[in-house]
Amino acid sequence: MTRNTRLTLALIAVVVLVVGGLLAVNRPDHPPAATTDTGAIESTVLVREDSHRLSTAADGKVTLVEFLDFECESCAAAYPAVKQILATYQDRITVVVRYFPIPSHPNADLAARAAQAAANQGRFPDMYVQLFENQTRWGHQEQPQTELFLGYARALGLDLPRFQRDLDDPATATRVAKDKADGVAAGVQGTPTFFLNGRRLTDLRGQDDLVAAIDAALAG
Amino acid sequence: MSVTTVEPAADPTSPEQGLPARITAWICAVGGVVGLVAAAVLLVEKINLLADPDYVPSCSINPILSCGSVMTTPQAEAFGIPNPLIGVAGFAVVTTIGVVLLAGVRLPGWFWLGLQAGAAFGVVFVHWLIYQSLYVIGALCPYCMLVWAVTIPIFLYVTLRTLREHEAVLPGPVRRVTAAAVSYHSLILTAWYAVILIAILNRFWDYWITLV
Repeated sequence: MTRNTRLTLALIAVVVLVVGGLLAVNRPDHPPAATTDTGAIESTVLVREDSHRLSTAADGKVTLVEFLDFECESCAAAYPAVKQILATYQDRITVVVRYFPIPSHPNADLAARAAQAAANQGRFPDMYVQLFENQTRWGHQEQPQTELFLGYARALGLDLPRFQRDLDDPATATRVAKDKADGVAAGVQGTPTFFLNGRRLTDLRGQDDLVAAIDAALAG
Repeated sequence: MSVTTVEPAADPTSPEQGLPARITAWICAVGGVVGLVAAAVLLVEKINLLADPDYVPSCSINPILSCGSVMTTPQAEAFGIPNPLIGVAGFAVVTTIGVVLLAGVRLPGWFWLGLQAGAAFGVVFVHWLIYQSLYVIGALCPYCMLVWAVTIPIFLYVTLRTLREHEAVLPGPVRRVTAAAVSYHSLILTAWYAVILIAILNRFWDYWITLV
């Protein structure tokens, strides 16, 4: 083996070890802060008094919580499934949406604030639909998409001056940040993350998995 | 007396015979094909995207690994035409040159300088694209990364070969650096890849740790 080959292999080994080591060390393996004795997440953390509900179950038996980022493509991919679930189960389950804007998405925080500004006028579900239906139009843009969001507010017939004021209001940003903090406490690392009755749903491959989990919870 | 044809002994100092020359030929042939395929796929996806704005390219896997978001940026048409067009044309030429070299053809010096100029343009362009992808667009496009991965060795090995070819006119220190670079060629390539890999890992660290 030449010196060049030896040094090349040594460098590859060093890079693999360092990167592998860093990934292993940073691995979030400790249970989330808000875990109860039974291993579920505290329901008070997952659903706050002011959390936005897309549907409310009369019996309160089954609650699905989604932490989402309006600019995340996987969240947009999950959106039709959630829409379908809302139509299927209606008031048999409670569906809660929590904000979890991810910093690498330039307009995610603004979108969450737009949803919150609409929520202040009682129109969260409508803005939620607008943002996801049009995500390809505003997602992954470097420039703030304020104009587009104002357009959605106008289309929904919202009180525009109030919407605009709320969009810039630090209280709105705080409200979004509070949701995100709850998500972090619940162990959310990416979006979308679903919790069904306090348990994080893992390995969701599609709508069928989500429906099966809800049916099991309703039957249980 | 018999007349025999004597095979000319391989001249070890000729750039066509030494290590960089052989590797350069292979790198151009293989790297050219890989780059050509990647650029061709990107071009097809670009056409699909133009025909249907809602089309989701095959390489849009998630928010981080996403051709769709990268292909629709202004950076994807840096010179006013879609970048994959440059790739399809450029890599076809590189592939042809690689095959010609493997066939044993000796190419004139001016031809090599032309290839060197093209490779230099390619490597500068690719690094600008890496920077844009990581720090401006904030997403990675898998086929684009394949293009990055082949452009770097093509430039490196063509340059090493060019430097050896013109060894005689280089000043002493440069000649010694060239000699060292030639003998540690794959170490340089690995280090180059490592820097870019670390930049990618560092930029999207929050995403990578969710995968382990």
